[in-house]
Amino acid sequence: MALLEVKDLTAAYGGIQALKGVSLKVEEGQIVAVLGANGAGKSTLLKCISSVMKPTGGTIEFLGKPVPQKPSDVVASGLVQVPEARQIFAKLTVYENLRVGSGLRKDKEGIQKDLERVYAMFPRLKEREKQYGGLLSGGEQQMLAIGRGIMARPKLMMFDEPSLGLAPVIVNQVFEIVKEINKEGMSIMLIEQNAKKALGICDQAYIMQVGLVAISGAGKDLLADDSVTAAYLGE
Amino acid sequence: MFLQQLVTGISVGGIYALLATGYSLIYSLLDFSNWAHGEVAMIGAYVALVVSSSLGGMPFVLASMIGIAGAAIVSYLNERIAYRRIRHNNSPNMFLMIAAMGLSTVYQQAANLIFTGKYRQFDFRLPVSTVQIGNTYLGVLDLASLVITAVILVGLIFLINKTQFGLNVRAIASNPYAAKVLGVKVDRSVASVFLLAGGLAGVAGILYGMKYNIFPTMGNVGLKAFIASVIGGLGSVPGAIVGAIVLGVIETLVSAYVSSSLRDFFSFALLIVLLLVKPSGLFGVDVQDKA
Repeated sequence: MALLEVKDLTAAYGGIQALKGVSLKVEEGQIVAVLGANGAGKSTLLKCISSVMKPTGGTIEFLGKPVPQKPSDVVASGLVQVPEARQIFAKLTVYENLRVGSGLRKDKEGIQKDLERVYAMFPRLKEREKQYGGLLSGGEQQMLAIGRGIMARPKLMMFDEPSLGLAPVIVNQVFEIVKEINKEGMSIMLIEQNAKKALGICDQAYIMQVGLVAISGAGKDLLADDSVTAAYLGE
Repeated sequence: MFLQQLVTGISVGGIYALLATGYSLIYSLLDFSNWAHGEVAMIGAYVALVVSSSLGGMPFVLASMIGIAGAAIVSYLNERIAYRRIRHNNSPNMFLMIAAMGLSTVYQQAANLIFTGKYRQFDFRLPVSTVQIGNTYLGVLDLASLVITAVILVGLIFLINKTQFGLNVRAIASNPYAAKVLGVKVDRSVASVFLLAGGLAGVAGILYGMKYNIFPTMGNVGLKAFIASVIGGLGSVPGAIVGAIVLGVIETLVSAYVSSSLRDFFSFALLIVLLLVKPSGLFGVDVQDKA
């Protein structure tokens, strides 16, 4: 059974069809990349999976069950997203940002452990624990957004364009972190425009074009196929 | 004499604070000024009045509790029946404010119809006695009101700053979208805040009714509380408390030493000057997102 299975998903903004029948799968332990240009429907897909937006058709199953209707129940079921543009709580401290992430959990000890884990992974966050999230640099905010996601102890973490607007050095770091988190056992769905980097670390990739999956396959196969990179990734 | 005025001022400020924190909390979550908030206080006072006078022999504390609960429920219903629908329609925030103004008028008129415009008072009276400290005399009602509001406001600050509920509320205030995708139950938190703010308004209404009178337009005290929350920095709970106490003290001192007819003139002048000098208010934290 796949961890996440999306079948024939359609969604629209007003009359404009953003998803025209998307199907994809994330197996346990995988990094799955969803690539494509602006407007391909990647973020819409994520919004539907998180139940922030209602699809017009198709199914989304997580662990064999339809995803819950309410965003909070989606998070409780083990699906959390690291939203596009980081969306830090600017007026909360770094520590408080992390504690919002663990807000639905009751296991005090587990929360404390995960907090230490996040601080070990990002020592910078520990240093700036008491500062307002809005005062962090872009890279630090991305770390905080990832840490905040980890605090929810998800089974599947969905990253929405984590490299967007970051300096190249930081982008490399972010991809390293994604790999590391995955190695520790978390399944990952990675939505990216930075196709080359994403293909380099993912197990499976789906390339979307105007609301449809244009092509899919193993990351390294797609990366090796010059016709794919030329046709869909503009390189 | 001065100390006496100061205590009275702080106690009046405390009543403002109970309302001002409600304005601030709701503004921080939903970005609109809930103009029906003063009327919620008025309803709390009338409920306590009706319960205590029609069920003779009921302890006043119990009647007050029922009044506070009534205010909380009305505040909650405002959110459930009016505001939530407007929010879910993604209408402009202006609609929320207009709905609030409508509710305010409806409640005022309804109170006028049911109770007439007559000034009423609780049967219950605290002894009109005073407590003597050194050579100043402090009113028992002022002191009692002061203690009650202090306890409640300390509790409120604790709730907002030290509990997961408070953290969720502040998260929604800071970034509603992020709060939602991280699993914060936004609608439930908003409803809880309305319930809480309504309860505080109920306490304010009853204390105000004990100090002055109960009448259909007593909710206009909400305007003072609103000024207080702007002075403190709209959206900040500690700011609202400090703003309210500053306003209460200034008003009392102006009434005592200048002229009571100039009281409101000073309140509004203070507001205007502050908005010119420090538009974000005394406690307005303005954390711009750097990245």
